[in-house]
Amino acid sequence: MTDFTPFDGRPDPVLGAELRAALTTADAEEFLARTRAAVLEAGAETAWDVLSRWAPRGMLAAAAAAALAWVLAGQPADEPTFSPLASAPVQLEVSPGQPEATVITIAVLEGR
Amino acid sequence: MEDAELALRAAGDDGEAFGQLVDRHGLAARRVARAILGLGEDADDAVQNGFIAAWRAIGRFDQRRPFRPWLMRIVANAALDLHRRRKVRDAVAIPDYVATSGVGPDRATDHALFRERLQEALAQLPEKQRIAVVMFDAEGYGHAEIAEVLGVPEGTVRSYVFHARRALRTALDAFKEDTS
Repeated sequence: MTDFTPFDGRPDPVLGAELRAALTTADAEEFLARTRAAVLEAGAETAWDVLSRWAPRGMLAAAAAAALAWVLAGQPADEPTFSPLASAPVQLEVSPGQPEATVITIAVLEGR
Repeated sequence: MEDAELALRAAGDDGEAFGQLVDRHGLAARRVARAILGLGEDADDAVQNGFIAAWRAIGRFDQRRPFRPWLMRIVANAALDLHRRRKVRDAVAIPDYVATSGVGPDRATDHALFRERLQEALAQLPEKQRIAVVMFDAEGYGHAEIAEVLGVPEGTVRSYVFHARRALRTALDAFKEDTS
């Protein structure tokens, strides 16, 4: 190996050859053939192929979620709960401001 | 045929042209991936993922620029990504070439031992130094190209290469002393 400085822009041919050898194994041809085949197979796949592969799982998940929602929503409600506003006059429930005195008076007189 | 022309054809959905690019650059890509991931199957997976990503993105490749650094950047990123995921998967991962150390002198020739020692020394380097020294000395990339791949300034790449060489030299000198 040559003793280069950090400012030297030349590759070290001896170290380079040793590194290449250290990182190369005897199965080069097989590796290239395998990679080539895998890449071409994957490259030929369109977005629709990918979607169609995921679609059955997606449909199943959606169906399961819908069934669960149906079961939960379909439960009969328990006894109706008492709401303190249930007997209040409509004007009281929807009016944003102070109710007028006549509305309260009528409600009290009518026993609502 | 030049890389740029093959890339152009591949962009036109010519699988054969892209296959030629795989043949031409596959082994160099494998060495770079192995510098990151070791000699195991992960490196081959990363190369495969990198090439697939490259083919899907080849329409965006700028024909005026060299193909190899563009490809190698994609492969290196695929390898780094896999490395990160592997670290999460196995927090105490030992690179394959470290795991193969410890052979007796009667099992292999001195040169084979030398290479094993080199692999071990390489595995001990910080990741970016490892990539830099392999790309620079073994694959002939320029500092600027490596800087682009690693996303660091060119001066940092010079520093990585310098420190990596010094560490490798120290380890290999020790080997020579052991065997002399």
